[in-house]
Amino acid sequence: MPLLSLSVFLPLLGGLLLMALPGKSARTAHGISIATTGLTFLVTLAIWTRGTLPGGFAQIEEIAWIPAIGAAYRLGIDGLSLPLILMTSLLFFLSSIYAARITDRPAVFVVLMLMLETASIGTFAALDALLFYVFFEVSLVGMYFMIVGWGYEERQRAGLMFFIYTLLGSLPLLLAIIGLYLATGSFDMRLWIDTPPLTGLTAMLALIAMLFTFAVKIPAFPVHTWLPAAHVQAPTVGSVILAGVMLKFGTYGLIRFALQMTPEAFVQAGQVVLAFGVFSAIYGAFAALAQSDLKKMIAYTSVNHMGYVVMAVAVAALTIDADLRAVALNGATLQMVSHGIVTGALFFLVGMLQSRAHSRKMAGFGGLLGQVPWLGWAFILSAFASLGLPGLAHFPAEFQIFLATLNAQPWAIVAIVAIVITAGLYLRAIAAVFLGESNGKWADMPDLDRSEKLAIVPLLVLIVLIGVAPSWLLGMMDTTMRALQF
Amino acid sequence: MARDLSLLIPEMLLAMTVVLMLVSEMLRAPRLALGIGVIGLGLATALTLPLLETDTSVFGGTYRIDLLSAWAKLILLPGTALALMMARAEIAGKDREGSVYALLCLVTLGALMLSGGGDMMMLVLGVVLTGLGSFALVAWPRDDPATEAAMKYLVFGSVTGSVMIYGLSFWFGGTGSTLFSELGLLEGSTLIALAGLIAVLIGLGYKAALVPFQFWAPDAYDGAPVSVAAYLSVITKVAAIFAFAQILRDLPVGTGWPMVVALIAAVTMTFGYLAALVQSNVVRLLAYSSVAQAGYFMMGIVDLGPGSLALPSVIVFGAAYVAMNLGAFAVIMVAGRSLGDFRGFGRARPVIGVAMVVFLLSLTGIPPLFGFVGKVLLFGAAIKAGYLWLAVIGILNSVLALAVYLRIVVPMYQPREAGQDSAALAPPLMIVLGATALVTLFMGLFAGVFPG
Repeated sequence: MPLLSLSVFLPLLGGLLLMALPGKSARTAHGISIATTGLTFLVTLAIWTRGTLPGGFAQIEEIAWIPAIGAAYRLGIDGLSLPLILMTSLLFFLSSIYAARITDRPAVFVVLMLMLETASIGTFAALDALLFYVFFEVSLVGMYFMIVGWGYEERQRAGLMFFIYTLLGSLPLLLAIIGLYLATGSFDMRLWIDTPPLTGLTAMLALIAMLFTFAVKIPAFPVHTWLPAAHVQAPTVGSVILAGVMLKFGTYGLIRFALQMTPEAFVQAGQVVLAFGVFSAIYGAFAALAQSDLKKMIAYTSVNHMGYVVMAVAVAALTIDADLRAVALNGATLQMVSHGIVTGALFFLVGMLQSRAHSRKMAGFGGLLGQVPWLGWAFILSAFASLGLPGLAHFPAEFQIFLATLNAQPWAIVAIVAIVITAGLYLRAIAAVFLGESNGKWADMPDLDRSEKLAIVPLLVLIVLIGVAPSWLLGMMDTTMRALQF
Repeated sequence: MARDLSLLIPEMLLAMTVVLMLVSEMLRAPRLALGIGVIGLGLATALTLPLLETDTSVFGGTYRIDLLSAWAKLILLPGTALALMMARAEIAGKDREGSVYALLCLVTLGALMLSGGGDMMMLVLGVVLTGLGSFALVAWPRDDPATEAAMKYLVFGSVTGSVMIYGLSFWFGGTGSTLFSELGLLEGSTLIALAGLIAVLIGLGYKAALVPFQFWAPDAYDGAPVSVAAYLSVITKVAAIFAFAQILRDLPVGTGWPMVVALIAAVTMTFGYLAALVQSNVVRLLAYSSVAQAGYFMMGIVDLGPGSLALPSVIVFGAAYVAMNLGAFAVIMVAGRSLGDFRGFGRARPVIGVAMVVFLLSLTGIPPLFGFVGKVLLFGAAIKAGYLWLAVIGILNSVLALAVYLRIVVPMYQPREAGQDSAALAPPLMIVLGATALVTLFMGLFAGVFPG
């Protein structure tokens, strides 16, 4: 059974089914949404049990699409994409549970969300560059309408900025794809990975185009400015998907396209990429420190965490020691998954707080821990994970990244400063919101209800599980990363 | 002779159709004219299919039966049928209704001559035939704006047409023949080649509304009935682009024409979108957007040559453009001409609203819509021809395009003001919207049927 295609198109089918139904009530809309995303999650689990192959792609599904130009529908997975697909389907499942409280045009919202899931899983599973680009761009459209339709006060401006900024960002990738296509006459990504077709100046130009695209998506300094605006204005589910899933398009592309398809140029540009990564990590931490808006703060910590991923990929390119390279890339991939889960949880929690208080300003809160212990402890656990506390999800990832960095490019270890800053800003946020004098204003704030707990608890469990025993995830990645040719 | 005529069956059928339509208009039976038109166009389309693999020419090389002219028929004839239905929805029951239908088909006949022409005389004939019918169509409402627009269109058309004929005489003098296939003889005589090239750029550039010959377009589109504007923005434009492809593929590259075309393409798309950015009348906005789209078309022309992406790219983008632009104009017929009319339109009419979003995103080039496939091929053609900078400009303009089209999309989902009402949806318009939306949505997935 073509499980990969099933996981990609099941959400879309669910959306079409919902559109075809007459008289859509909120109940049916959310029922279909939860059922579809749940089923998709099960399908991805089945894909996991089928496993990957070392040194290549597994579970390949291929159908001719535009044979005249060598474009085909090609799907497949390896140790890089499989963990991301699993994380994606889980986050969408939990999002659909949380989204069940949306009453404003619920059917449209659900259709958009399901469309986004198809686009996201498709992006990670595509092995045809044109197909990859299709999914990559469709996600923009879905996210734009989600921000504009269900966002907060300044959603029009934020949505417009997000759409135009990221479209400008992704078009250079199209140029690079066309360049690679003209050199080979095919859009098959496996071909481009096995024998990188470009050399010299053209390879460098293609790399620059790809780096620009993925830097916007990641987002890395200095093209990160769309992120805080989009995140703050997006609805909670939108933020979770944007941070948890869509930022990974950038880091995934960084490895899959930039590193694997133009390896020589990437090695030449390695120091520059590394410097951008280091700067992004430090800049993101300081920018987060300066925020008084809780959601904006978390958005900036994404810049910081994704900066580590960029660093790790650059370190992997710059080192020739195979073990060290695997450590760096394992760290990078694990960091993507951890960030999806931890930041997903944090955005859920901030959204839950905002829906109760209608405010995100840290200064307006205080002493909430006694009032809403579930919300409070969940936030504290996620925040500790985000600052890299040992035993929680980010630690094994960041540990490997810094280990590889220290061995290969010792100067870049300055990025470790960012960890201290992040610790400081999270502790400050926890103190301001959950500890201290209780503010009488919030005396009747209710704690998490059942569906909110359902959405958040699996993420908390995973945060601890990845932190304590990451080997089940690392094993999945390691075979691929060791065999990665570049 | 019999062979030549048998290859021309679709064209002759269309000519017969026009005559019959005129007769039924004389009988004051506009619905009959419409019926004959739609059936004739459908038949002509079907009769083109067997000719798809043919690559030859008739009447001593003056008219080409090749990939391009076959696809021109497959794209323009159904496009005209859709335009007929749009016109029906707009002008049903009005005076001189049938003449509009007959003129639309007549102009399409001229468009086919443009896209199949292999000779300078055929080119002139095509330009004149499309021109005469179009002037009358624009002037049809007989009110001040329409008359003014038609006058502008006519004067501009006469001047550019004359300049073109004058310039073509250089090519004739240089090669001693009116056949385009002899243009290869101009290798080395750059000045003569450029003189004719400039003339063709003026004559056809006016038809395709390339900068700097685009002045007439916004006025003519705005003065004419919306359905006529829709028709002019797709059929004559695509025909002019195809004519460029027929002519320039025989002109030696050594004369430097690709550079000239590339510059015009870059200027056209940038100017078109910049001007569209400040319009508050949606018809004018789409007029400038279609100026910009002509620039994208020219990007594909740059790569003309053996084994190139030029023909597939203009054919695919041509098909996509006809569908999405007709669709967008059809939505205007429902919503209204002013940007204010679109306020809340997406909430009041959800299905048509989604269709409009699809058309506009496809015009922008967002995958997996049909317009995206066309644009990928166009970018590929430009890069293949060595014009990376042109592809970069095209890509930057795609961002500008998004800003332009979002100006329509954004108000569509704002709350509707009281007292706003959009027109009812006539059955012919429903067919047009359904057909164009389906093509725009799904043709991208089946792009394999197009030549590559």
